[in-house]
Amino acid sequence: MQRDYLDILWGGLLAAFGLVVAGYAALHYDIGSLRRMGPGFFPVSLGVILAILGGFIAVPAYWRKGDRRPFAWREMLGIVAALLLFAVLMNRIGLVATTAICALVASSVAPGKGIAWRLILALAVTLLTWAIFILALKMTIPVWPWSR
Amino acid sequence: MLTTISRRSLMIAAFGIAAAAAPAMAQDWPSAPLHVYVGFPAGSSPDTIARLIAEPLAESLGQPVVIENKPGAGGVIGVQQMLAQKPDGYSFGVTINGPLTTAQRLIPDLGYDPATDVAPITLIATSPLVLAVAADFPADDVDAFVADAKARPDEISYGSVGKGSGAHLTAELFASDAGIVLFHIPFQSYAEVTTSILSGEIDSGFMAPSAAVPHVEAGTMKMLGITSSEVFPLVPDVPVLAGKAGLPDDFRAELWNAFIAPAGTDPAIIARLNTEIDAILENEDLQGKLLAMGWKTAGGTPEDLAARIETDTALWGAVIDKTEAQN
Amino acid sequence: MTTIEGLAHGLSVALQPSILIYSLFGALLGTFVGVLPGIGAMAAITLLLPITYYISSEAALVMLAGVYYGAQYGGAVASILLRLPGTPQSAVTTLDGYPLAQQGRAGVALFTSMISSFTGSMLGIVVLVVLAGWLAGMATLFGAAEYAAMMIMGLVAASTIGSERPAKNFAMVVVGLILGCVGTDVNSGAQRLTFGQPVLMDGINMVALAMGLFGVAEVITNIPIAERRGPPARVSLRQLVPTRNDIRRMTAAIPRGAALGGFFGALPGTGSTISSFLAYALERRISRTPERFGKGAIEGIAGPEAANNSASITAFVPTLTLGIPGDPIMALMLGALVIHGVQPGPMMLQSRPDMFWGLVASFGIGNIFLLLINLTLIGVWVSILRIPFRWLYPAIIVFVCLGVYSVRGATFDIAMVAGIGAIGYALTLASFSPALLLLGFVLGPLIETNLRRALLISRGDAMVFLERPIACGFVVATAALILLPLVKSLIRSRAPDKSRAD
Repeated sequence: MQRDYLDILWGGLLAAFGLVVAGYAALHYDIGSLRRMGPGFFPVSLGVILAILGGFIAVPAYWRKGDRRPFAWREMLGIVAALLLFAVLMNRIGLVATTAICALVASSVAPGKGIAWRLILALAVTLLTWAIFILALKMTIPVWPWSR
Repeated sequence: MLTTISRRSLMIAAFGIAAAAAPAMAQDWPSAPLHVYVGFPAGSSPDTIARLIAEPLAESLGQPVVIENKPGAGGVIGVQQMLAQKPDGYSFGVTINGPLTTAQRLIPDLGYDPATDVAPITLIATSPLVLAVAADFPADDVDAFVADAKARPDEISYGSVGKGSGAHLTAELFASDAGIVLFHIPFQSYAEVTTSILSGEIDSGFMAPSAAVPHVEAGTMKMLGITSSEVFPLVPDVPVLAGKAGLPDDFRAELWNAFIAPAGTDPAIIARLNTEIDAILENEDLQGKLLAMGWKTAGGTPEDLAARIETDTALWGAVIDKTEAQN
Repeated sequence: MTTIEGLAHGLSVALQPSILIYSLFGALLGTFVGVLPGIGAMAAITLLLPITYYISSEAALVMLAGVYYGAQYGGAVASILLRLPGTPQSAVTTLDGYPLAQQGRAGVALFTSMISSFTGSMLGIVVLVVLAGWLAGMATLFGAAEYAAMMIMGLVAASTIGSERPAKNFAMVVVGLILGCVGTDVNSGAQRLTFGQPVLMDGINMVALAMGLFGVAEVITNIPIAERRGPPARVSLRQLVPTRNDIRRMTAAIPRGAALGGFFGALPGTGSTISSFLAYALERRISRTPERFGKGAIEGIAGPEAANNSASITAFVPTLTLGIPGDPIMALMLGALVIHGVQPGPMMLQSRPDMFWGLVASFGIGNIFLLLINLTLIGVWVSILRIPFRWLYPAIIVFVCLGVYSVRGATFDIAMVAGIGAIGYALTLASFSPALLLLGFVLGPLIETNLRRALLISRGDAMVFLERPIACGFVVATAALILLPLVKSLIRSRAPDKSRAD
């Protein structure tokens, strides 16, 4: 029997997220009353509502056929890694080196073999980024590893 | 952030001519661009003040002065970012009073101690707040306002720009000194407070004089008093609150902007900057621009600023104690 | 000065060559930064600030206004072509614009958005000129109770725009509302869900959220499939021109959107977001074929684009007539005025009519520039899609990083994009609507603070929402929005019973 596993999973995740938020907020913030709401009132109620909605998503999906969609693990990890590298490196080694590394990592998950075109692409992206953000928009970010 | 002061700074930054700053030597300082961290977005009043100072400063020092906007947490992020830099004589900050006087009380994980981690350079400008009410509010002066508030405690409401903001603490200081209890409604911006007073939703608010003036001219708002110790040139008709309605003669509550450095910065550099900035603050054109924004230029020695930080920390600390005890 | 005299005078100010040049420059720069993902008007205006200290106040304001509108035109381009919205308003444009682009009709989508933006702005100017005084009064009629009720209505009305399953739509709105709670609670000053991070005290960066949910998620989706689909065929000029059917759909949607935007824009704070979502929901609700929405409906672009441009014109009403900025960009422009000794406020129309009317006229001229610039550029923009995706997306990722960084100079926000992007991809895969999450995120804090403020002011009396006529109107409308579909389905299910009984 086919089930809509994607919706079951997401309904469960959202319900869990809602419960965690509600629990955390209830423990840490004053809920107050309906007349004089405290900072905890909204997060707690929203968390509970989300938990209920998660149930509404997950339960009917149990008896329903869902479509199977491939999850692009490799591509997702590549892009997430590229973004994280950018966040970590930019203020340390400057824009130019960071952009080149980020573009290279991002393009590593692209279809197509070979390293040459990826290097050319990284160089082109770096030049373009420098021209737009430093030359034209004059952003104040370190450009080289030795500048600040 | 997308900011530069001069074309030169751009060229220098772009081509990496400016190598990493060597350990600061007071004699050949400055040999690289100065970075000034501002904890508010571009175009905000602390940012405008920083820019108005940065430009003549770059001229007199012969090096670009780059404004780095690091907005957030009421200016605290800007101070934190400045403190994350080396005290090499090239990292400075322009900040409002909050991050140096009240932040350690209001923010649990501040990560710095204003008394030991920050080196004061000079006080740039101060701004009082006016007590504003809608034009049809019964009281016409502060005595009547206080009498009214005594007659109906906790009924006259006032708006502030958030719990712990200058507007909130000023109002609480005023109320406790005058022996009255006002009802606090927090907002996010002076714009919201203004609209709310005009629509009659709230009764009063302590706000920047420049924000109240247009509505006073239009006849929809009144200013009952001002929190500075002398009459403020932008609103010469508004009486000072000090000494009136049971308030002490030394009643004073002002916001201010200051030029600071990370602790450990070469004292010779601090002294030089103090002289340069004080000279810049003498410029009448600059004074006029600041006054239009509601700021009066100050100046003084680094020790004056240190003393100001200390007195204001004690002043607002006491107010925070009192409001916390009430809740 | 009468309106006609004022306009004539305004035109004479705005048509001075020195002012025209700044208007054109602002429009060009605005379009340019708007097209870059995440970089909005704010960043460009920041760049221009030092210049504004030296030029006349008219020139400064005209230039900044050009940037402001230009960024909106440009933002639509990135949203339609690459699903890279930087604002909630352009997130609405992606809903039907991006599907159109994928069907090879990017030219038509762009054309629709330009024409709707332009017409929306022009209608907004008419509203501004005719109703400025009335709209200014409206801002003071709206208190906390009215705002709370209005935004709850907006949220309920817009919740229908996502997928077929209401539970999924509401869940996204609620997730958005929860994320909106992150940061300093205005009413109590408490730090909520910040986990001791000062960088989160002002909440999650909205641009990071939009870029992650839409742009990054879309890049991940597209890497494995884009090459197989291949680049779209070369676009001929004829394909840029909408069909007669398209034009018919547009002409009805634009005035509706402009009217909505003109009204909501004059309320400080939320105008253009709420009006573009409402315009979309309205078009879908009154359409005879609502199933086309989300798959490339022309009205789904025309209505919201007209609404947000019209709203951003009337947003100047509170800024200029009350001195109350509606958003951070307006606040920046106010700052530029004050530096020149012009104090915007209730007296501005009397004390500086040249300024007011000059600005109104230059809005019009600026929008004409923008229409011309953007219509010329449609061909260029569309050709971006001809670049193979694997050559395109690494640059998109780098641009997203810098765009997000430009908002407040925090690398923390770039790391946030990584996490949000991964979650956004998984959500899109399960056909959740990221636009609703964004709407909940934007409106959530406003609803909460206004609701709690209203109750604080009324000393805990919830009747305030029914006693104040405007608030009551919104409450009734919200109730109707929820109950009508229920009643309808009830009648529909009862009807066959009756016929059987007969």
